Amino acid sequence: MARDLTLGQYYPVESFVHKLDPRVKFIIMTMYIVGVFLVKHMYGFIVVAAFAILSTLISRVPILSVLKSLKGILFIVIFTAILNVFFHKEGRVYFTIGKLLVTEGGVFFAVKMALRLILLVLGTTLLTYTTTPMALTDGLERLMTPLSWIKIPVHDIAIIMSISLRFIPILMEEVQKIMKAQRARGAEFDKGGLIKRAKALLPILIPLFISAFRRADELALALDARCYNATPNRTRYKKLKFTYRDLIALLSGISYIVLIVAINHRFWIPDLIYSIPFV
Amino acid sequence: MSIKVKNLSYTYSPKTPYEHKALEDITFTIEEGETVGIIGSTGSGKSTLVQHFNALIKLQSGDLVVNGIDLAAKKINYKELRRDIGMLFQYPEYQLFEDTVAKDVAFGPKNFGYKKEEIDLLVKEAITLVGLDYEEVKDKSPFELSGGEKRRVAIAGVIASRPKVLVLDEPTAGLDPVGKREILELIHKLKSAYVKTVIMISHNMDEIAEFTDRVIVLNDKYLIHSTTPDNLFRDENALNGTGLRYPHVVRIQNLLRENGLDINLEKFTVDSLINEIEKEVFKKDN
Repeated sequence: MARDLTLGQYYPVESFVHKLDPRVKFIIMTMYIVGVFLVKHMYGFIVVAAFAILSTLISRVPILSVLKSLKGILFIVIFTAILNVFFHKEGRVYFTIGKLLVTEGGVFFAVKMALRLILLVLGTTLLTYTTTPMALTDGLERLMTPLSWIKIPVHDIAIIMSISLRFIPILMEEVQKIMKAQRARGAEFDKGGLIKRAKALLPILIPLFISAFRRADELALALDARCYNATPNRTRYKKLKFTYRDLIALLSGISYIVLIVAINHRFWIPDLIYSIPFV
Repeated sequence: MSIKVKNLSYTYSPKTPYEHKALEDITFTIEEGETVGIIGSTGSGKSTLVQHFNALIKLQSGDLVVNGIDLAAKKINYKELRRDIGMLFQYPEYQLFEDTVAKDVAFGPKNFGYKKEEIDLLVKEAITLVGLDYEEVKDKSPFELSGGEKRRVAIAGVIASRPKVLVLDEPTAGLDPVGKREILELIHKLKSAYVKTVIMISHNMDEIAEFTDRVIVLNDKYLIHSTTPDNLFRDENALNGTGLRYPHVVRIQNLLRENGLDINLEKFTVDSLINEIEKEVFKKDN
């Protein structure tokens, strides 16, 4: 079923994080991502990881289902780590494989890059786990409002985004349905080599495209029939409100960035901890 | 060729917030040669139940033996099972994909390993059986055809593999009254000449009353009746709480009875209703 989709699925529980204003969540997400790329020292990584793990705990989304989102990027993480190990040469040489050197700096660099990728995905997954697609686009639209002053069609972009997000589960369901129908006629999707498998997808893709176009047509008609023209001064069903919760969240986001910058520049942090070898 | 279901239960997305029980402790048997209707309001588990028959949904708990194949077993010959249990889904015309009608109908037989010469014969036979002119449609794109014709092609695509059991999930949904009638008569024809057992999900009680030998009623994941349409629709309390309504002919009969016309239908068809009314009215005249 489409419900089994793991990546970027809304996880319906009540929590502090779920109740946050989507705009605030976007801002904090941006801070978080900036933090992920700013950190230099291993202690910084601990701060980033702690921030991600704490947010997950507060959100009451099971850590396991957030971790599941890593399955998709596992290959990229391993691949980049291997490349980094071999092509980043710095410091003590551990050993050599033919012409390739494995150095201390290379290993640290590889580990740091892998951690960055993992933390990046964990954080962004949490955003989609705790925010409905509608709230997501609504928040994004409000944040992008300044862009409309320079004639960028913000509302159009937002409506396109929300429609695409809205259609992902519908199309997934459609795929499941078509797959079942073709399997009932003896089709197999998990047998044979690459070419055979690619060919086996045709009986799914063609009906899927046809139905996607049909749905798009129907939707366009329905929008037209209700005189929809994406005017910027539409009123809203759900007004976004900035509450004390959002303030707390924003403050913790700011302290997170400050802490990372401080660790990077050794402000306030006792010199002692930098002498521990793995930093 | 029978389908034996015992204590079958099924839960969607177990152990997640989306967990949803679809079937609970279902037990019944369908024998060869029967035409069985499965009814129940939306979400009562009808589609989930029938998709167990050809292992599109994996058995979670309970026993299910189809055509002698035990679906609780580790190794199942899916090809044989799915060839024997032909399944037509809701709006089957949306599953057509080949560039010609003949190729689309041949998809099933090809997958099930029929030989080239056999396939040509099966395709021709199936297209003719569903009431289309083979020579006229075989090279047409399925997308050029009308809605009713597309549905016929989809049915041909299922029966071309020569299934022993035909499972139909709301075969008449979305068709106009004439199209509905034609599809039902086609199913009736297939039943007497081609497939041995027919299982049909329907929301239309008149179809069920007229075309099936037995009705299985699901209500909110439980099986509440498995009986003949005659017994079911004569029992005035049988469908209480299910959200289902009695067939029109039964409701008309009951209304007439309440108002003093003493009729008793032998068969739940419109013709039978008209006959009974005529008989009674002429009796009164004399």
